[in-house]
Amino acid sequence: MNDEEADAQESKSTFMPLIIAVGVAVLLLGIAIYVPFVIVGLIIIAAGLFKLFKDGAAEKYADRKEVAEEKFPLESVSKEKLGVWVFLSSEILIFGSLIIAYVYVRVSSGAWPVASQTHNVLLGMTNTIILLTSSLTMILALYSIRKSNVAGLKICLLSTFALGFAFLGIKLGIEWPALIRSGFTISSGLPASSYYVLTGLHAAHVAVGLVMVGYLMFRTYSGGFTSTKHGAVENVGLYWHFVDIVWMFLFPLFYLI
Amino acid sequence: MPGIKLYIGIWLGLVFATVMEVVVRSLSGETSLILTIILMIASAKAIAISLYYQHLRYEGIRLAALPLAAIVGTIFLAVAAGVTIIMGM
Repeated sequence: MNDEEADAQESKSTFMPLIIAVGVAVLLLGIAIYVPFVIVGLIIIAAGLFKLFKDGAAEKYADRKEVAEEKFPLESVSKEKLGVWVFLSSEILIFGSLIIAYVYVRVSSGAWPVASQTHNVLLGMTNTIILLTSSLTMILALYSIRKSNVAGLKICLLSTFALGFAFLGIKLGIEWPALIRSGFTISSGLPASSYYVLTGLHAAHVAVGLVMVGYLMFRTYSGGFTSTKHGAVENVGLYWHFVDIVWMFLFPLFYLI
Repeated sequence: MPGIKLYIGIWLGLVFATVMEVVVRSLSGETSLILTIILMIASAKAIAISLYYQHLRYEGIRLAALPLAAIVGTIFLAVAAGVTIIMGM
């Protein structure tokens, strides 16, 4: 690669992920020591995401060439998709560690409330089916755009967004308030704090997924995807299905066992 | 890429498995056996989503090695936690 090509590649790169990471660090610092930092962190994250999405929608990074040496040993996988899988692998470790910690604490503790007496199994099952259906609509969105069916893509993305929103609505609007009213608060002991930490972290992931699906909808309506150019739909889908997979374990652990 | 029928078939299977989890929980019997069955169903659902919705079945082993490595790491952690619990009993 000569200097001109290197400069051209450089102009198609972005340091926004670094800015967003700084925003997350400030946000976490705010949670830990000084609450106003939370707002500063959120502003930095929002600004970084806005710039990233704006440049993404303008396809600033779309033509970035990938040299063969950089792709070994995954020549058939795009860098974006590889990045998503590396990220998802780190997520497996985060959720895996938390779930194992929960099981460890639960097994080690003598007394633990019966799941069905604390949590509403019907609501949990409904949420599980909603999330599974959102995974179906997400994969059908990818299927649609691969078949050049933009109308199908719009309908499927809208359905995914609505289902994800319904999941959060049931979780944060019905389940959590009912639990809190019954005295099951985050400070009422290990069963409650572990429940809120794990389901809260999962809900945060769903919320992030909704932002990404919203971005896909924006790009779809501005004609950003075709049958040959739809990497973002696939990559957001990989994340969305992962969030679904995590819930497949949280549901039985908190509602059934 | 798989067809639309397969995607819908997988979804039906996942919904059925979810209902089965709730049904199994309501059965009377050996608690550890019921727990094992429920966790096996949950794992089967997760594997089905990975293979067919995340397309890991069609991506090849090199890409699948990434999440598998993370899963192996998690299993090590689970084994360590299990050993700690057994040693403490």
